[in-house]
Amino acid sequence: MKGKTPKKTVITEPAESKRHKGVSQWSIAWRRFKKNRAALAGLILVGAIVFMAIFSPLIARYPVNYLASYNEEGKIRLPPSSKYLFGTDYIGHDVFSQIVYGTGNVLYVGFGAAAIAMSLAIVIGLFSGYYGGLIDNLLMRITEVFLVIPFLLILLVFLKVATALAPSGVGGLTTVMLMIGLFSWASNARIIRGEVLRVKQHEYIEAAVSLGASKWRIMFRHILPNVLHVIIVLTTLQIATAILVEAAVSFLGFGDPNSITWGQQLQGASEAVKEAWWEGVFPGLFITLLVLGFSLFGNGLRDALDPRLRE
Amino acid sequence: MTDELLKIENLKTYFYTWAGVVKAVDGVSLNVKKGETLGLVGESGSGKSVTALSILRIVPRPGKIIGGSILYKGENLLEKEEKQMQKVRGKEIAYIFQDPATSLNPVFNIATQLVEIIRHHQNLSKEEALKKAIELLRLVEIPDPEVKIWNYPHQLSGGMKQRMAVARALSCQPNLLLADEPTTALDVTIQAQILDLLKSLKQKLKMAMILITHDMGVAAGVADRITVLYAGRVCESASAKTIFRNPLHPYTRALLEAVPSLALRREKLKVIPGSIPNLIELPSGCRFNPRCEFAKQGVCAVQVPELLEIAPDHYVACVRAREIEAETPFGGLS
Repeated sequence: MKGKTPKKTVITEPAESKRHKGVSQWSIAWRRFKKNRAALAGLILVGAIVFMAIFSPLIARYPVNYLASYNEEGKIRLPPSSKYLFGTDYIGHDVFSQIVYGTGNVLYVGFGAAAIAMSLAIVIGLFSGYYGGLIDNLLMRITEVFLVIPFLLILLVFLKVATALAPSGVGGLTTVMLMIGLFSWASNARIIRGEVLRVKQHEYIEAAVSLGASKWRIMFRHILPNVLHVIIVLTTLQIATAILVEAAVSFLGFGDPNSITWGQQLQGASEAVKEAWWEGVFPGLFITLLVLGFSLFGNGLRDALDPRLRE
Repeated sequence: MTDELLKIENLKTYFYTWAGVVKAVDGVSLNVKKGETLGLVGESGSGKSVTALSILRIVPRPGKIIGGSILYKGENLLEKEEKQMQKVRGKEIAYIFQDPATSLNPVFNIATQLVEIIRHHQNLSKEEALKKAIELLRLVEIPDPEVKIWNYPHQLSGGMKQRMAVARALSCQPNLLLADEPTTALDVTIQAQILDLLKSLKQKLKMAMILITHDMGVAAGVADRITVLYAGRVCESASAKTIFRNPLHPYTRALLEAVPSLALRREKLKVIPGSIPNLIELPSGCRFNPRCEFAKQGVCAVQVPELLEIAPDHYVACVRAREIEAETPFGGLS
């Protein structure tokens, strides 16, 4: 594609002029976000889990994949105790330590898949909404195809194929992430297109055209910042969805068996739900907490950024 | 001839809608000299704005310029490539929009918006551009420009926003300013301020201006020449003085009589009966004939009037212009 993305030259106020501060929409949004307790709780939850991912070796009690109870006592599926906080699983892993080690993988899939899905959604939504006409028609029909196919089913098929085709050693969790990302952009693209259509009619876009801005500049420099609030909200919610989908895929046995994720732990637990409830309940709880955290955070952002609710 | 800046001839801009072809501008000719202010007057839907948008070639879809020529400094803008047009827009010809509340981008502060345009058309560093932007705000008489420039549009009042919009339009010293009803969205006291500002700027910067308005009073205050549009055609074009002292087109007269005046103690304002015709199915002959009090049976509905020079520099498109001048001298305004 020809043309270069215009350089970002947002001019910021020098620090010394504090007399009459320019208040950007972001600072207004932050002020409102702070007042929303549920949103703050979400932010704290997400923050705590990210912290857990970064410092996992310090938090976990046993080394990665260490068969704690099997090696030390010759037993598996021990109930929670002071030694094994969340009990041990079907081959003797410490459930708590495995949850901690899985955090990074879970976030990797969540963030990665959301990044792929949102990049596709932004590009398709922008082009479709801005150009309209034939391009819009074409892109939206493609989007609809992605919307009508049964998402999980096709994802599982593609995962199987991709895993089979990929050379050994490559893929695994990355394949899972790619596939989730490639199949979950469609609804976001539609929402972004709608926002672009709304923003496009504003006079300041016409003003930018009348001042000699190119199409490229209009799209990325003038329209994109005005739909950014929607994109941010969609991204946080997309991360939550991607984490859930990864858990589902892993639970069904289509994930990467060599990576520790909370979904994988759930799958291992599914054989003995009655006898060893702790094996599934704790990973499930963490999935719930993380998704809840992202959803609260996302909803809080939506309320804070919605221009219609501005005071 | 050399002092002619803009010359539009027989411009036709049609909108191709599902209901039919809307002839928004249908053969408009006008010209603007260097440093001159042209008032483009007409009702809603008369094609004023579309004419101005056509000059910059930013007519929104499904509109299309299908004929005529727009000579700017002797070059036909309609033959230019899109890339070259982008250099004309903002740098040579700038546009001021009606509603300042929506014509500034809400997510950037004023500094960012001005610096972007200045640097887009001129090769300046960020610091130089910022200095220039502050100068511009001073030029449009914004108090405390070093502080106000860091404001976001939502922190400014309507009048202030329109000043910012004017500053943005002036950022690259255009030779021609298209002001599309710049005061309509403002309250009356602010209207007067903005008009005074435009008048003084035009003298200071020696630029030409096309002021689009539906308000004869506004045109009277600012314009040197006035062109009256009706249903996509020029009715009358003359110096402002001539238009107000001796209007010859019945539509111009009707417009002037609809202006409230203190000198004439009329009980009721005159109104023009009916409304502007459907631009898809226009009346035959003169487009104003169904609403015209001077219309003559068998003439006005048949013959399409041409824009003729009735007196030196006084153009009228009415078959009966001379008869009207002789029979009913205009005594409408003081």
